[in-house]
Amino acid sequence: MPQAAERKALATGLQKLNENMLTLAELSELAVRKAVDGLTRLDLETANEVFTLDQEVYGLQLEIERTCIDLLALHAPVARDLRTITTSLKITTDLDRIGRYGKDLAQLTLQFRDKQIVERGDVARIREMADRTISMVDTAIDAFVRRNAETVRNIIEVDDAVDQLHDENFRDIVRRMSEGQLNIETGARYLLVNRYFERIADHAVNIGLRVVYMVTGDWLPRIRAADRAKRHDGTENKSST
Amino acid sequence: MHVDKISAWYGPKLAIQDISLDFEEHSVSGIIGPSGCGKSTLIRCLNRMHETIPKAKVEGQVLLDGQDIYDQPAVSVRRRIGMVFQKPNPFPTMSIYDNVAAGLRLNGVRERKKLDVAVLESLKQAALWDEVKDSLDKSGSSLSGGQQQRLCIARALAVRPEVLLMDEPCSALDPIATAKIEDLIFDLKKDYTLVIVTHNMQQAARVAETTAFMYLGKLIEVGRTRELFERPREALTESYITGRFG
Repeated sequence: MPQAAERKALATGLQKLNENMLTLAELSELAVRKAVDGLTRLDLETANEVFTLDQEVYGLQLEIERTCIDLLALHAPVARDLRTITTSLKITTDLDRIGRYGKDLAQLTLQFRDKQIVERGDVARIREMADRTISMVDTAIDAFVRRNAETVRNIIEVDDAVDQLHDENFRDIVRRMSEGQLNIETGARYLLVNRYFERIADHAVNIGLRVVYMVTGDWLPRIRAADRAKRHDGTENKSST
Repeated sequence: MHVDKISAWYGPKLAIQDISLDFEEHSVSGIIGPSGCGKSTLIRCLNRMHETIPKAKVEGQVLLDGQDIYDQPAVSVRRRIGMVFQKPNPFPTMSIYDNVAAGLRLNGVRERKKLDVAVLESLKQAALWDEVKDSLDKSGSSLSGGQQQRLCIARALAVRPEVLLMDEPCSALDPIATAKIEDLIFDLKKDYTLVIVTHNMQQAARVAETTAFMYLGKLIEVGRTRELFERPREALTESYITGRFG
């Protein structure tokens, strides 16, 4: 059993880790929100702010990694302490990626600015996709902060809805491109925007599943929607026979 | 080895209560818990050492190969279930050779050739042979603490026990000597069933396949070591291993 002084040092380290994780989550989410704002208003200044945020996210991610390594090396944590540290270590990568997609969206904003005008209908679609994914990130981060696994247990199902929206957008963009309604270059950028949001949602799922592990020690399997549907059908067939 | 509802007393004081546990064959089982929780008492019940203390009493069964050790002569039980203690305790006046051979001689083995083979094999198994092969006639107490502990392990192994009990075997040793004993424990499980009581949770995590957590004389939780240290089922276990006790 750790001695009192060692325990205190670990508790202090864990508290610092938690505070930094919260800041990292806020910065990553802010980067995406600002990127969406910049993209939908084609605001160059806002887009540029995202690049600064991305640098901060990266710097903080490295600091958190160092803290985690120190805590593991010095305190040999177990049980929930171990799960908190390893989960934080994994989640930082997801949060960094989320911030990175904010940066990618900002870069696209700069490109849109030079070449094309974002149409109102497309803005609405971008906003819808953004709202859904940011809401998922919010839920996952909130679960981490509150150490509440219940709110994220169904995050894979929520992601299914985002995947569906992504597929619909994808088909619509491709159709408009092939029918000549949408410039190929603009359409390609829309596809990227669409894809970035879908990936941000995937990272939110990663965070959610990690939080479930952190809180309960349970690993939730990540099963594709199609496989889940098959399982569901199988259960229904069994129960009906 | 199966422990069934073991309770033990020191005079009127109940030290451990209704403990049932399985120790897997050819595996290392760890027992952890705070001081005074009864882990040493439990391990001493496993080879009838507890009853050697005046006014001590044991109830329940310890089954080895299906037979209760309390229905068998204590001496033969201790031959089948060896024990290594916290502090290395070689016989101080005996040579290294005689220390290892002592158990066999007590069991009536006199033939020099047989003793030579047993001493050689036991010292090799205890990973001490290379360090002492040229000084077998030197006193056991001339060895370093870590070597003395391995000598005690060799002495326990010489009578070919089925189970080896270790009560805090590394608590008096430095990290290098500790690492050697832990390596030895890893090798020994191929041939023996090992039960190790330890204060050092990281040691339990490193060497034991299963770990039991005891508190106030009761068994709180037992499970695969990885599970117990990663996701303990009981809040008390979690509090103890993370240092949040009291």
